[in-house]
Amino acid sequence: MRNSNEIIDDIANREYEFGFTTNIETEMAPVGLNEETIRFISAKKEEPEWMLQWRLKGFQAFKKMQFPKWQHFEMPELDLQKLSYYAAPKQKKKLNSLDEVDPELLATFEKLGIPINEQKTLAGVAVDVVFDSVSVATTYREKLKELGIIFCSFGEAVRTYPELVQKYLGTVVPHSDNIFAALNAAVFSDGSFVYIPKGVRCPMELSTYFRINAENTGQFERTLIIADDNAYVSYLEGCTAPMRDENQLHAAVVEIVALDHAEVKYSTVQNWYPGDKDGKGGIYNFVTKRGICKGNSSKISWTQVETGSAITWKYPSVILQGDDAEGEFYSVAVTRNKQIADTGTKIYHLGRNTRSRIISKGISAGHSDNTYRGLVQVGPRAANARNFTQCDSLLIGDRCGAHTFPYIESRNSTATVEHEATTSKIGEDQIFYLNQRGIETEKAVALIVNGYAQEVLNQLPMEFAVEARKLLSITLEGSVG
Amino acid sequence: MSEKSFYEFISNGVPGPEQKVNADNAIMPARKLAFSRFRELGLPTLKTEEWRYTNIQRYLKDAFTLAQEEEGTVTAAQISTAGIPHLDSYRIVLVNGRLQTDLSQIPANGKVTISKISDAAGNTQLQAWFDKHPHLQSQPFAALNAALFADGLFIEVSANASLDKPLHIIHTYTASANAFIQPRHLVLLHKSATLEIIESSLGLNDTAITFVNTVTEVVLEENAELWHYNLQSTIKNSRHLSHTSTTQKADSRYHHFNFTLPAAEMTRNNLSVALTGSNTETNLHGLYLATGQQHVDNHTFVDHLVANCNSNELYKGVLLDNANGVFTGKIHVHQDAQKTNAFQQNNNLLMSEKANINSQPQLEIYADDVKCSHGFTVGRFSDEALFYLRSRGIGEEAAKSLLVNAFAFDITDQVHIPALQDFLAEKIRQYVAGAINN
Repeated sequence: MRNSNEIIDDIANREYEFGFTTNIETEMAPVGLNEETIRFISAKKEEPEWMLQWRLKGFQAFKKMQFPKWQHFEMPELDLQKLSYYAAPKQKKKLNSLDEVDPELLATFEKLGIPINEQKTLAGVAVDVVFDSVSVATTYREKLKELGIIFCSFGEAVRTYPELVQKYLGTVVPHSDNIFAALNAAVFSDGSFVYIPKGVRCPMELSTYFRINAENTGQFERTLIIADDNAYVSYLEGCTAPMRDENQLHAAVVEIVALDHAEVKYSTVQNWYPGDKDGKGGIYNFVTKRGICKGNSSKISWTQVETGSAITWKYPSVILQGDDAEGEFYSVAVTRNKQIADTGTKIYHLGRNTRSRIISKGISAGHSDNTYRGLVQVGPRAANARNFTQCDSLLIGDRCGAHTFPYIESRNSTATVEHEATTSKIGEDQIFYLNQRGIETEKAVALIVNGYAQEVLNQLPMEFAVEARKLLSITLEGSVG
Repeated sequence: MSEKSFYEFISNGVPGPEQKVNADNAIMPARKLAFSRFRELGLPTLKTEEWRYTNIQRYLKDAFTLAQEEEGTVTAAQISTAGIPHLDSYRIVLVNGRLQTDLSQIPANGKVTISKISDAAGNTQLQAWFDKHPHLQSQPFAALNAALFADGLFIEVSANASLDKPLHIIHTYTASANAFIQPRHLVLLHKSATLEIIESSLGLNDTAITFVNTVTEVVLEENAELWHYNLQSTIKNSRHLSHTSTTQKADSRYHHFNFTLPAAEMTRNNLSVALTGSNTETNLHGLYLATGQQHVDNHTFVDHLVANCNSNELYKGVLLDNANGVFTGKIHVHQDAQKTNAFQQNNNLLMSEKANINSQPQLEIYADDVKCSHGFTVGRFSDEALFYLRSRGIGEEAAKSLLVNAFAFDITDQVHIPALQDFLAEKIRQYVAGAINN
């Protein structure tokens, strides 16, 4: 068995596995942010006038806002004028099959292990690939079309289904929600659009893979998911970014609308470049994700596994507006080196008999800081609302931090809200027990961490669960000292 | 004094401590320092994270007189109403923060000093500790208090000394017009000293509004032990803002109890404990029972600076009528504070449809070999429990009061003075009965 210092060195010096860049010519917008940039993006994407107006409204809101100050980390200096707000792989030809896609692009996906090539990989996954924000290839379109399911790039949705987009865009995350959402509204480049019609159960997992490639670009995609009455969909999002010394900003927006009896399950495995061991480089992942259970008995469930990014700062939220609606949030956040995670959820109980469940598992190692911040709000109308929250933190090493900042606001006496949180380290007795059974320390830690995160990993669809487990052990093995 | 809002007055116009001609010149530099700190910090608004659930502006919008020199008077007959039945204690009476020696029984064993803080200004121990607690440095109202306080108590217990019975400190507040009263106390226990303090309050006029902004600093030297009970119940029209800041050295034990009962309009308690020596024990117990339009806000902060300390916190709330409860508890474990055990729990009972609670139990942890947890619940009492009692022939009022008493038992049971325990149980019964009959 190697001694633990060697193992730690090994982990600390491990290169980011997905740190390669693809040499595809990209078409970039001029650096800087002003009304011209927004008009440029809108024109490039051949958008209708209403879309441009909405972007400009977002920009107006953005100009009036300032960066928040309440977060539990030092806000990095962000110069939004130094970014380029549009980068698209230069190829405008419409694609019908995978053969037409740039082979180099396909090779990139191959390296990432995305199941874009359906014959070779796991069947049943439809991937909408967002490569530097423009949707490149969409698979399984035909099959989904038969069921009336719309799964396309956001740009295409704006052109083809304007009435749907106009009806729901910005209803969950308004253009003036927060500074990053406003920025996104102004400059979003592309994203995914999903519409599941009444009574349809989407037969496969829908999946998008985000990847930041070009230098000095922010990634601003926008996702809108609508599940009509009695519909069901499970949506997967995975992210990687190549290695860059400069920090890259990722300010996405995800909006989910669930109507009567609809159910949406949204899973994320986030593995953006976390920066090197001195905290140099890495992605700033400042994302606004929110779903609304508009209909009665609807359900929205967020599951996230966060192992990447220099700073992860997001609170996937659920507004439980309909009666008997249900919201769930399952999260595993792993930080090491100088990574920072300030994440959690917000659940708003507005309707009667609404239920929510929050399970958050934080793991911090190295010099990292891992914060759970969450809000559970019970409105005066939310009779018999029920919430259960559990946040556990695991500390590995004595130079990291684990924090829990829940906010609980109850305005209804019939509601029951429970919150509990614990902080501890991996027990020496547990390691000893496993050692004694012939399992070396490194594997023992992986086993314990996997067991600790089990409750969340179980929520992931099968393909993702495998990947998430792998990520967890890669990130943490040997960190015990 | 002008008729404009007091909030505006203290944010802009309040004169500094230089204006004050007093005997406590030795601490004047500290007062001046505090005043410039107050200017720097500014008054909180709803956007201030620590004050997001308590709109302090609302409670300061009336015109108040900044009471500094007024001498209120009370009579022995009035004081007798503030007694706790069957409690054997040394009674200390304060009027608007000023010690009344004629109404007090000051123990004369030579080991315990109890005096006006203004009279003790020359005491080097007082000068060493005055306004030094780290947590006070960020609190605007504590800074305002340090700069402009009228008077208060200084209690010093010599090494290895103790008293044969508890000190019962009765704070009385009286003023003919709206008054902003700022008492300031410092309790210092030297090595291996022990003391029991019971604080209660008595309001004597219900026509004018009193706003009490009090700061109590507690210092426990090595192996000292303090039982500190605080009973907050006064008449309507009073608003209470308090800071209790304790510093604990190695092997010391601090047991703090906070009982907030009707009917101050607004109560905001800031309790902070800094653990600067190892092997300490800290028990923080709180019970808030609020009725009517009461707003009760408890902020607690346990700062684990060194290794091997234990802290245990349990706050329970019963909210009736339109009462509004706030709880914010923070446990901060620093990097060197290995082997810390820190627990915190906050449970709430909402007894009416209009009552509400905002809670923020927080953990901030930078050391890995620790055991820390917090828990929070809010709900109603179980209908089945109520039904069970009713089916045994117990009336609704009695049954509910029984259930509330049972809920509060975890706290009251920790009180180790039987007379005080009975007194609290009776108070809880009365208030619950009162609220149900409304």
